Amino acid sequence: MARTGVIICHCGSNIASVVDVERVALAAGQMPGVTYAATNKYTCSISGQDMIKQAIAEHELDRLVIASCTPRMHETTFRKMLTKTSINPYMLEIANIREQCSWVHTDKEKATEKAIDLVHMAVAKVLKDQPLFTSSIPVHKKCLVVGGGIAGIQAALDVAEAGYEVTLVEREPSIGGKMVMLDKTFPTLDCSACISTPKMAEAGAHPNIRLMTSCEISAVTGYIGNFQVTIRQKPRYVNHDTCTGCGLCEEKCPTKVTNLFDQSLSKRKAIYKLFPQAVPAKPVIDSEHCTMLKSGKCGLCSKLCPLGCINFEDQEDFITETFGAIVLATGYDLIDWAKAYPEYGGGKYANVISGLQFERLVNASGPTEGHIQRPGDGAEPKTVVIVKCVGSRDPAKAKAYCSRACCMYAAKHAHQILEKIEGSKVYVFYIDVRTPGKGYEEFYDKTRADGAVYIRGRVSKIYEEGGKLICKGEDTLIGKQVAVEADMVVLETAMEPAHGSTETAATAGVSADKDGWLTEAHPKLRPVETQTAGVYLCGTAQGPKDIPDTVAQASAAAAKVLGLLAKDELETSPMISVVDAPKCSGCGFCEQVCPVKAISMVDVPSMYNGKRVTRTVAQVNSGLCSGCGACSAACRTGCIDLLGFTNKQILEEVDALWQE
Amino acid sequence: MSDVQNTLRDRVRSLLAEGKISCFIGWGPTRFKDRTIPKFANKPEDAGELVYNEHCLSNLAKYALDFQFSAEVAGIAVRGCESRAINRLIADGRLTRSKLYLVGIPCEGMLENGSTAEKCAFCRHRNPVVYDELIGEPVAEQENPPRFEQVLELESASSEDRYDFWQREFAKCIRCYACRNACPACNCMECYTEQYRTGWQGKQANTLENSVFGFTRAYHIGDRCIECGECERVCPMGIPLMKLNRKLVKDVESLFGSEESGLSDDASHALGCYDKEDLEEFM
Repeated sequence: MARTGVIICHCGSNIASVVDVERVALAAGQMPGVTYAATNKYTCSISGQDMIKQAIAEHELDRLVIASCTPRMHETTFRKMLTKTSINPYMLEIANIREQCSWVHTDKEKATEKAIDLVHMAVAKVLKDQPLFTSSIPVHKKCLVVGGGIAGIQAALDVAEAGYEVTLVEREPSIGGKMVMLDKTFPTLDCSACISTPKMAEAGAHPNIRLMTSCEISAVTGYIGNFQVTIRQKPRYVNHDTCTGCGLCEEKCPTKVTNLFDQSLSKRKAIYKLFPQAVPAKPVIDSEHCTMLKSGKCGLCSKLCPLGCINFEDQEDFITETFGAIVLATGYDLIDWAKAYPEYGGGKYANVISGLQFERLVNASGPTEGHIQRPGDGAEPKTVVIVKCVGSRDPAKAKAYCSRACCMYAAKHAHQILEKIEGSKVYVFYIDVRTPGKGYEEFYDKTRADGAVYIRGRVSKIYEEGGKLICKGEDTLIGKQVAVEADMVVLETAMEPAHGSTETAATAGVSADKDGWLTEAHPKLRPVETQTAGVYLCGTAQGPKDIPDTVAQASAAAAKVLGLLAKDELETSPMISVVDAPKCSGCGFCEQVCPVKAISMVDVPSMYNGKRVTRTVAQVNSGLCSGCGACSAACRTGCIDLLGFTNKQILEEVDALWQE
Repeated sequence: MSDVQNTLRDRVRSLLAEGKISCFIGWGPTRFKDRTIPKFANKPEDAGELVYNEHCLSNLAKYALDFQFSAEVAGIAVRGCESRAINRLIADGRLTRSKLYLVGIPCEGMLENGSTAEKCAFCRHRNPVVYDELIGEPVAEQENPPRFEQVLELESASSEDRYDFWQREFAKCIRCYACRNACPACNCMECYTEQYRTGWQGKQANTLENSVFGFTRAYHIGDRCIECGECERVCPMGIPLMKLNRKLVKDVESLFGSEESGLSDDASHALGCYDKEDLEEFM
């Protein structure tokens, strides 16, 4: 005979103020199999747990029902408690009478009746519970970081410093990401490259970090502690093992190509380093533009290279490695404002530029060596209009979200123009100015004191007239239309997820929100974890943010990775699917619906009409199975069951609900 | 049609004689002129007993399961309905294409009690969709057979009327499982109805349990029914099962835009795969 114990929790007044817990306990005492039923003020507290332990010993209970908050809250707490008793931790059912009852009802009578029903269902289910036992899987102590921007570099360095091996994968030929493109960083105005290139160099030289540039993730299988990741190495056409980075090839290459690192403001060669401080400091060939690769003519670099590093036959390569943890730091791109805002010229005016183009213009290593010159004619602009929220906070045209960093980098741009160009004027069109952050508001105040004119309103149209760019808009504070004649316009465009980042994340089993930002496991309490255990995220892959927040999040993700890699083994949940192989027809329906690819079809010896045959049946990988139950619902024969939620247990619950 | 029969016999005779196949599944005679039964030809001399005429009503595909574990190749006559059933069985992992030799026969519809069989009236694939050799010339397909006519009629009734209708129909069911046994999509090694104490499907032949059986079967084949109409044809109680199956076929087609089942042996079916374009009205 089963000896079930039922504990009804008051949860202070959270439950007890709506549900008559004493009545529920009284009713529970009458239910089949129940030996002991009592209430408790705070069941999750130490004293509450002691009371349960005592009851288990005193009444020789062999299974337990706790009617309290959601199992997401304290199921683990109570399971841990049960490990110190004679009851198997999985002989426990939680009836959620808080979130699913007291919190959502006001009618005390009916809420109490519902609580009794919920307890009745749990009591019926617990009778069919079976002891379950966890097993353990080894942890592969190696971390993969996807994306070599400042977030990825920081995360990789933190993990590597703790003594674990890290592979840092970057699709561009160099790590560095967007931060190395920037000139100065707000609010302290320290040079962006000066603070990020040492980190790049450190990552490049760290004995525990393996850099894989010009690489992308093509497949991820496996599970926490044991991910098998296939990395695609794009052809570089330059042997980086022998190349010393002398630069002769780049110097002599006759083909000039638009330089995207400089935001199309300059030219580079077809064999190139992404930027002078690139890590690795070795060139690659741009196969789209190299005349040798396109038409078989030229090959100058190959003739000149003293070490014979050029290999025009280079092919893409696939490398599969095992990692225990994955960090996604896939970063951002800026929205294509020319498409969304034809009223700003849609790209036809050379002197209407994006914020990132301005960063290159004002950067000492940029195309103008730091002199602010109009891309159109090289003249120094005297009047500059800065337009904020281009693409952000504008659901009708682009994105509804606030891009967070723009208010501050707009203020920085205004400051830089006023500082570098004597007698210049800067007008900033804004919707709101948002400067939460250490020293941010002070910086904004200083910019205004420097002479930047802030006009509250959106720019409705930009057009060229007499060599000037006319920016029309409304000053909403005075309720009047204004027009500013500018020499140059800087559009502070919104961030959007880096192209291809949602696909990369999907490969690792991580979902994205409607805008494409990767989804964290919990927005407040698990900000760097994802719904896929063992996969973490950081930086702008998760949402727009500035450098301090990005770096903080990267270190947070690294801390989570270290927590995982510090373990030798992981306990696996025993609440997984099991296949009753003799019943299985091998139709593979379960394999198709499994979201974590935990099911595979295997050939097994079998008997058919008295003969030995080999047939195909489903098999569950216990390490991969997340216990979602999709396979169980899909199986027509009913030969897959989910332990802890077997068809029988669920039927018992349903039956209990209909019993008087 | 006697030409087809003669060619079929000749071909099967040589296929068996050459050792290309170990057995051939076709139709054979009965003591009634207007009835045939499935016939297994194991030796070249058996080929002369094969029959092909307008009374070959049975869908043979499921008999191929008898050879699922055989090392040798089994031959089978396939019309549109058999060929789609074979594809279904391959997609469901029950048959292997390389172990089958399909002799295709274009079909112009069969007779049942003197007139066109009900199941053939709705046929959209009279020519086999897959075969290794074809006997005779392809025939013209029926133009717009009234595939969903009965479904539309059913859909126009109120939910109460529909409920009453199916309760009346399933009250007749004697749970002989002939529908399931004939159905090429009902191909589980062990049907859930054979299992004891599932907790939700009783074995009693009463209206309640019968309807649980009827509706469950319809859902199990919802996205895989090849519309061969065998279930309805073999039902001794005359339950209009295809009305129910076609309703689900229609829903699956309109909700997921999937093509008819059995046109290929592709294993992906509407309810088993996720597509970003899938309707999500319910979410």
